[in-house]
Amino acid sequence: MTYMHIGKDFTPPDVEGKVTGAARYAEDFKKDGMVFARMLTSPIPAGRVVNIDASAALAMPGVVGIFTADDLPPSAPPANPALAKEYVTYIGQPILAVAAESDLIAEEALAKIVVEYQRRPFVVDPLDTLTEGGPDPYPMGNTLIRNSGEAAAGTTASGTDVGRIKWSIDQVTAFRNGREPTGAEFGSEWEYGDVAARFAECTTVIEEPFVTIGQPHHSLESRTSMAYWENGKCYFHGSLQSHTVGHDVLAGMLEIDPANLVFINENTGGGFGSKIFPYPNMAITGRFARQLNRPVQLRITRAEEFFIGSARSGMQGWIKIGLKDTGRVGAVDVIIVNDAGSGGGGSGGSSAEHISIMFQPEAMRFRGVSMYTNTTPRGAQRGPGQNEMAAVLAPMMDKAANMAGIDRVAFRRINAPRADGKIGERQGGLSSSYMPESIDKAAQMFNWEEKIAKPRQISATKVRGIGVGQGFHTAGSNGYDGLIRIAPDGTIYLHTGVGNLGTYSYAGITRAAAEALQCNWDNCVIVHGNEALNLPHSTYQGGSNTMFTETRSSHVAALDIIEKMKEIAMAEFGGTIDDYSIGGERVFLTSDSSKGMSYGEAAQKAIEMGGKYSGMEYPDNIHRTTQRSVQAMQGTGLIGVAKDTLPREGAVPGMAIAFVEIELDTETGKFDITDYSAVAECGTVVHPQGLSQAMNGGGVWGFGMAAYERHVYDPQNGLPANVGLYQSKPPTYLDVPVTMNTAGMDLPDPQSPVGAKGIGEPAQGCAVAALMSAFTDALDGHLFNRTPVTADMIVNHIAQNGHNTGNLKTNTF
Amino acid sequence: MSSHDVMPEMSLYQPVRVEDAIGIANQFADRGWLVGGGQDTYGWLKDRAKSADALIDLKGIESMRGITETADGIEIGALVTLTEIANNPLIKERYALLSQAAVKVASPQIRNVGTIAGNVSQDVRCWYYRRGLNCYRAGGNLCYADTPEGMNREHAIFNASRCVAVTPSDTGPALVALEAQMVIDSASGQRVVSAEDFFVGPNVDITHTTVLAPGDILTAVRIPAKWANAQFFFEKVADRNAWDFALVSLSAAMRVNNGVIEESRIVAGAVQATPRRLTSVEQAVRGKARDEATANSVGNLASRDANPLNYNHFKMPLMDNLVKRALRGQA
Amino acid sequence: MEIIRYRRDVWGEEVILGVSWDLLWVIAVTAFVLLAAHAIFMAALAKKKAMPSAQGKRVKRHEGIDRAFHWIMAGSVLVLIFTGIAPIIGLRISWLNIHWIAGLILSFVCIFHTIRALFWQDFKSMLLGPADFKEPFDETIKPGKYSFEQKGMHWAMTVLVIAVIATGITLFLHIDSPWWDRPSVDNEATLGVFFLLHGISTLGLIAFTAIHIYFAVRPEKRFYTRSMVQGWISEDELKANHDTDKWKPE
Repeated sequence: MTYMHIGKDFTPPDVEGKVTGAARYAEDFKKDGMVFARMLTSPIPAGRVVNIDASAALAMPGVVGIFTADDLPPSAPPANPALAKEYVTYIGQPILAVAAESDLIAEEALAKIVVEYQRRPFVVDPLDTLTEGGPDPYPMGNTLIRNSGEAAAGTTASGTDVGRIKWSIDQVTAFRNGREPTGAEFGSEWEYGDVAARFAECTTVIEEPFVTIGQPHHSLESRTSMAYWENGKCYFHGSLQSHTVGHDVLAGMLEIDPANLVFINENTGGGFGSKIFPYPNMAITGRFARQLNRPVQLRITRAEEFFIGSARSGMQGWIKIGLKDTGRVGAVDVIIVNDAGSGGGGSGGSSAEHISIMFQPEAMRFRGVSMYTNTTPRGAQRGPGQNEMAAVLAPMMDKAANMAGIDRVAFRRINAPRADGKIGERQGGLSSSYMPESIDKAAQMFNWEEKIAKPRQISATKVRGIGVGQGFHTAGSNGYDGLIRIAPDGTIYLHTGVGNLGTYSYAGITRAAAEALQCNWDNCVIVHGNEALNLPHSTYQGGSNTMFTETRSSHVAALDIIEKMKEIAMAEFGGTIDDYSIGGERVFLTSDSSKGMSYGEAAQKAIEMGGKYSGMEYPDNIHRTTQRSVQAMQGTGLIGVAKDTLPREGAVPGMAIAFVEIELDTETGKFDITDYSAVAECGTVVHPQGLSQAMNGGGVWGFGMAAYERHVYDPQNGLPANVGLYQSKPPTYLDVPVTMNTAGMDLPDPQSPVGAKGIGEPAQGCAVAALMSAFTDALDGHLFNRTPVTADMIVNHIAQNGHNTGNLKTNTF
Repeated sequence: MSSHDVMPEMSLYQPVRVEDAIGIANQFADRGWLVGGGQDTYGWLKDRAKSADALIDLKGIESMRGITETADGIEIGALVTLTEIANNPLIKERYALLSQAAVKVASPQIRNVGTIAGNVSQDVRCWYYRRGLNCYRAGGNLCYADTPEGMNREHAIFNASRCVAVTPSDTGPALVALEAQMVIDSASGQRVVSAEDFFVGPNVDITHTTVLAPGDILTAVRIPAKWANAQFFFEKVADRNAWDFALVSLSAAMRVNNGVIEESRIVAGAVQATPRRLTSVEQAVRGKARDEATANSVGNLASRDANPLNYNHFKMPLMDNLVKRALRGQA
Repeated sequence: MEIIRYRRDVWGEEVILGVSWDLLWVIAVTAFVLLAAHAIFMAALAKKKAMPSAQGKRVKRHEGIDRAFHWIMAGSVLVLIFTGIAPIIGLRISWLNIHWIAGLILSFVCIFHTIRALFWQDFKSMLLGPADFKEPFDETIKPGKYSFEQKGMHWAMTVLVIAVIATGITLFLHIDSPWWDRPSVDNEATLGVFFLLHGISTLGLIAFTAIHIYFAVRPEKRFYTRSMVQGWISEDELKANHDTDKWKPE
């Protein structure tokens, strides 16, 4: 299909600000009379606050107030409280905030506050708390259980409680040693097909343990926020991935009418899953500002961002994979113990989902348990569950394929999901899948046949590794609102409540509206980032779902405004709506294009006609956020507004496949990526440069996940080693290839009006998987059974000194 | 315990003459803090892990800048940046070992402001110590890294004495290999200390990494002509290829005549608190060809007396491998 | 001036770090002043007594093995003190290994001495009884083999050495050695108490060592020092300073 805008590059409006430094983030906003709030955080991994003596701090000149857990609604574990009191559960957990006239005074005030703690036993390794008699991270247990309870006020958790699951020492020992923990209790289990029967049919069966660490998100922009109150309204500058979808949540955290909140967030310096929805410390900013009746900036330091900025849930696991002689995956049995940190949950189910869709096993069983530890709270991080599973699964699947004598790419093609593919426990359908085609395209880009035939030994100290890996994430939702306004001057305002998290998707999705409107892009203005500008209720920015979900919203709003323009023209020129067409930013009689009007003239008419045309009336089914925005724009132009009610069925799979060639130095454990080729199965490509950026960025992070990033806790006292970016070790410009070859499959998903699906998360998953696969290939099939694989582990392996960490540990390596 | 990141209030002195700087340094003694590029200063102060009453900014002292040729080699001002060293034609031509080491330090941004004096004088990077814990090196009475559960992948495999931190400097081992002389000015005059003696281990002084005492200012580094145009080898293995500290680095200067190693100085970084001269290897290869056979002949001589901790056994083969590379003459 | 040094433990709680080394200077100055005062007093004011002759018949006071023990112990104590205070006073030497080796030597010779004293020597001769306390105040009372001062010094040094050894071994167990690796410290406060006790006993040891050396070189006591080198005293020295009913040397 030939598009006017879709598939064409364009310059999103925030690019210039990013390049010049003019782009403003939450911390850049100041307000007259603003005070600086800083947090005092816990030095102990577990315990309770007995007493706070802030008298010396409050007596300091320039100190204006203190804010503690007592100033917030009570919360109950395992909700992640903004400020802890009865349940201190990790080092770095915020205890209180103090506000002062300057940042320096606030810091000095913190040093004068004396907090008395009562310590409790702590644990940083999920298997330690899972073991019978092992310490529990909370006094009441070690795992999340679901109930029907109400959410604790001021928190984002709901319906959860802390329970206790324990395994016998024999079960834990078996699990640590890579065997199935027979008879162990799990928190969640599912199964489809006859697993035992399918295994019996398999000719190749492998059993492997695996472990992955839980990387921090290390968003470049820490979660600083600033709030002030004017005329009963809270103006809140924050840093979220999403925008308007978080509005009501934030209003709830502040216990105010959503109509009295204006959330401003033009740019976000990364969230990666940790800022999808409002997070606990935002409650401090808004409430403290109200309490002091002054603007408050709660500044979050880099170290604090590591404490409260969330992290991926690490996992320890065991898997059994069976291949039939046809190369089909007959059965998979997988057990995952997740590290949920002190709050949040594991992603074991999503990990299992990755296996189920990528390899379409005929039968599968998943058993999982998510253990709390006294470490930083865990949350969604780019492809939560799927990507860490992709990492450890790729080399294991390589092993199985090699044992079965099947080419690794052929093996993946045999098992790849097709349009009739299934996913997960319920074996639901897919909206589309062109994964076999994507595998072929990527293999061709990479020149797999030629590369796989190359000798592995390059020189006495260098070996070659060829890897292949796949990534997946559900990439689409529906039911959100689109909003467009055309002004009498003909300017087309494309309103979106999508957050600008740096991926340009907020801009890309509006291209669907421009496409439907057949308008000149230069006449379009993207309205976003500030709720005072009247934004619609848009999707959450997580799970790679924006492109699919919001091209639909944009499309339905465009259809609405087109229909209204035709009705306006019809009122002027007669006929029926079907007699009218659009083109050249005019609406006109199809039979006589001279009878028509420009979009601007239609907007002027709309103002005159009022009603639904100028926003005086609007559909009942749109969200109240959208309703308020429409109300605020009443009479200012032609309003197109609609909720996405387009049909949707099955999961929307964003998928990607990557190939990596490395040259590994056997004397140092270092490696160079000499080729990286990846193809995104993302439906129609909306914005080629945006796709390229997503694939490159995801790829780089995938390399980091595979070989660099660290997340270390000291088990003897619960100390996190990661308090700065250099300790966390995300890859640098010298650790990644200069050129990364990426492309989109560019075949449309039938459930998107422009065929688009998201791709952010699979871009990382395929890269980490491919690099892990390449390590194994370079080292004669050696499985590390873990990520990351760092240079020291490779050196240890080659030296055969037996010092690679054998035990499964998520927080160390 | 809370996170801090704002510079504390303190006096700032910006002398333009060494003697003035010495006077101020003496006045404040251990409560004064010398700063050049600031790359190992601002973190400590902002984190409140260390404190001082006065910051003595040396950047205005012109006499501590510049690279000059002397009768016996070159003299590098203490304030010369790592980028300047990496790009200096004289150093690149005659003492390439130092330029190769300098260009591997951290990142371009840090090299642009970080100085040679700062790079050799920087404190250790043990994460427990940097966190501000009161460990041995901070004047306390225990070590958190050297325990059965300590996370000590980056720590020492040699000569630990209670503290197991390693030297983080990339240029330090290169300067030891080049037999550099460190010029130290103080109120009692100027003294010159060999690079090898400049660094001190925890067995001698657990709270310092160099011989510099309060009131001392490292004003210049002299490299003698002895090793000019010798054969050099430098390699730094770190987790990341930029913005990282060495897991192990190796600096070697070899006088090779007709393919035979007549004399060598081989120094490892990041294996102990000071640059470690591998004298046993130097002796073993004296008079031998610089080739694969010699490389293989030294086997694990370099790591023979290592005492690894829980997670750093890899440093032994890695160190041996780098020695082989140095002797082999090619990667 | 502080007596005890404190620090924050890993979780930010205040715990004892050890004794304040300001006290080292207090001890040093105090010991110097007192001993100097004693020297001046003895030189200027004390009644001059004729020194017994070292000539004539010799009487054995110390077996060779006991003298060896004494000097090994003395050497190890001095080495311990020197290596212990070297880093405090800013001397840059590699002191720790020498320190614990000296400590081990001291421990072994003390064990040896204890066993020998209990089973092969006249242990009772070193016991302090109520009668001994009259000795300093009555010039007519002469001691047996050991005077009240000598017994007092011995037992003071015994207590201090035992304290230094006991706390030193505890601390030794917390560092790497050829026989074990350093363990985790579960309770930093307890460790701090051991450092404090080690420091206090060290300060005491320094003080008493200084006193001991001072008296060892005093003219009227020097024959004891000679006896600790050569093993004998003269019969004159014996009769002048000891009650031969109480001590009948060979």
